[in-house]
Amino acid sequence: MSSPERYRVLALSAAKHDYVALAFKDHPRFQVVGVADEPTAADWVHERNEQLAADLGVAYQPDVDAAIARHRPHISVVSSEAARHARLSVRSAEAGLHVVQDKPMAPTIADCDAIVEAVERAGVRFLLWNRNTQPAIEEARRVIHAGEIGEPRAIHVDFFFSKDAGVLLDSDEDEEIPDSWLSEGELTVEGIYPLAYMRHILGLDAVRAFGRASAHFFRRHAERGVEDIATVTLEMEGGAIGSLCIGRIGRPSHPNVGELRVHVVGSTGALVVAESRPEIALYTRGQAPEDDRNRRTDEETDRRQVDLFVAALESGGDTLLTARHGRHIVATVVAALESARSGRPCEVSRPS
Amino acid sequence: MIRLALVGCGRNGAALAAAAAASDGCALTVAVDVNPDAARSTARAAGARAHVGNLASLLESDAGDFDAVVVNTPNNSHADIALAAIDAGRHVLVEKPLALSAEAAATVQRAAEGADVRLMVAHTLRFMPANVQVQRALTAGELGRPGMLRSHRWLRRFPGPPGGWKHDPARSGGLCVHEGVHEIDQALWLIGERPTHVHAQARPELLQIHLGFASGAMAICGVATGLPLGSGYYSLTLIGSLGSAYADDHHNVQLVYRGGRPQAYVSDQRASAVRAQLDEFANAIAGGREPSVSGADAVAALQVAEAAAASGTSGQTAHLTESGYVIA
Repeated sequence: MSSPERYRVLALSAAKHDYVALAFKDHPRFQVVGVADEPTAADWVHERNEQLAADLGVAYQPDVDAAIARHRPHISVVSSEAARHARLSVRSAEAGLHVVQDKPMAPTIADCDAIVEAVERAGVRFLLWNRNTQPAIEEARRVIHAGEIGEPRAIHVDFFFSKDAGVLLDSDEDEEIPDSWLSEGELTVEGIYPLAYMRHILGLDAVRAFGRASAHFFRRHAERGVEDIATVTLEMEGGAIGSLCIGRIGRPSHPNVGELRVHVVGSTGALVVAESRPEIALYTRGQAPEDDRNRRTDEETDRRQVDLFVAALESGGDTLLTARHGRHIVATVVAALESARSGRPCEVSRPS
Repeated sequence: MIRLALVGCGRNGAALAAAAAASDGCALTVAVDVNPDAARSTARAAGARAHVGNLASLLESDAGDFDAVVVNTPNNSHADIALAAIDAGRHVLVEKPLALSAEAAATVQRAAEGADVRLMVAHTLRFMPANVQVQRALTAGELGRPGMLRSHRWLRRFPGPPGGWKHDPARSGGLCVHEGVHEIDQALWLIGERPTHVHAQARPELLQIHLGFASGAMAICGVATGLPLGSGYYSLTLIGSLGSAYADDHHNVQLVYRGGRPQAYVSDQRASAVRAQLDEFANAIAGGREPSVSGADAVAALQVAEAAAASGTSGQTAHLTESGYVIA
């Protein structure tokens, strides 16, 4: 079957983020035809969906089946709350749509397995949105795959993002937690990015995890019993060592978006890359304290991810982060958090 | 001025001699080594006298020209030489590890306490200028409660022939004791408490140690010792509840153009760290106080290093107890 000149894209919820759907806006191979969601979604979700529809210049329809019937899309972009990811992605796959889905893939391994089964049964492509197309990450992968530092033996990722989340743990201030804060831990939600780097750069999966996790900064994390920082060490395939430090470390803790870096030790050399580089520093009078003072110079990251998605659609090859790989990342996070609870290393579950 | 006898004039001896020469608080007066060339060349460079032999023969022919002994010999001899120096009433600065086991280290610590001499252990990372600033910021409360420490230290392949003592776990103590003890001491110092959990992965020339603390703090420390010349790298991040500190060669790279070819250049902070360490030793002796890195600190670091080694061997987590650890 020939490829369409432009793939029709239906955004299914913007509860979490609008940037995944917006990456398809103005792309010559895509046309965003609508925004849709389940009618039972929360009021704040409908409001976000309406805003995204306005930004895209399309209609919002709070009825997924009706929107699919109306627009006959080729692709759905799912960015709902994580608890609804599996339902919306499976529904999309069953309707024959390729799926681009926001992180985390799903809250449970069982949900991930349902997505894997649905997309493979339907023969559609699934892309878990990621940051692997950052230039520094691509360069690290190139260096490793070219054998320039020999056999990779250890990889470490620091993934610290300097954002706040309500009041600090030690504060006396009152806080009303908004409904849109979904009580998710930071390793659970953000762990996909650094774990995807490891897989992308080395081509290896984790087999066993040891983790520590804590609510160190923010009261809402402590009250809801979820982590705002975590450390994970991994036994990787082939005997390589992996490790990860991750956390929402608060706005004052970094001048830029955060410390996002990768270390790799190989048998004949080593590399260090910072995800945000290349960047420029920008200091202006009147700059708001929350402004990023360092800005990335590469604006094509999301576009490259979309371009690679087109290539996967048309070649029949793997997407940059498939459902199976996404499932393994969730299994790694689950193992790390279980280890943090038990104090013992845990095996990373494989599909049965 | 504290007069030092340097016992062991190998590779690290030159750095110690240079640091002593730059110090205002101490001076190297005797260079001791069984290798005549090593003793003489170090003595010549430092303006000291050479003694060809060991500490025992130096003490036998005691000329009364040294107040303290710096032990810079293979790891398996540290404890015995330190005990001999203490027995002779001399203060001692011992290269890390203080001994090959925590138990042997505790024996040295008790001997120093009983003899009322100063015992210091060369956990040099505490004196790295960047780490000094991080610790000051922590002490001043600028960073709040420490929540996470991450450190990496990459070294070029151990010098010397494959049969050298650093390649022999029976003499070096193995990677956890020989190098990991640096990272462990650094973590205990900066986090400010003893860990409850240790999970380690050990490979030839590669070590990763993951520590968990009762306060909820956590640390990941990595050491690589098998890299080619020029691959030295040091990196540390400390995340506190009110702020973070980043001490990292990657942030401190200078570019040098020679013949049009750019090269990365990183300032070597080790020399000033070794000097600051010697100054602290001399000041502690002169002031009649405990050095900032005590024998007890060294024993604590070795207890954790032993737990890390057991974890690395077993693939399980070591849970620290009051007297040791349990693998589970």
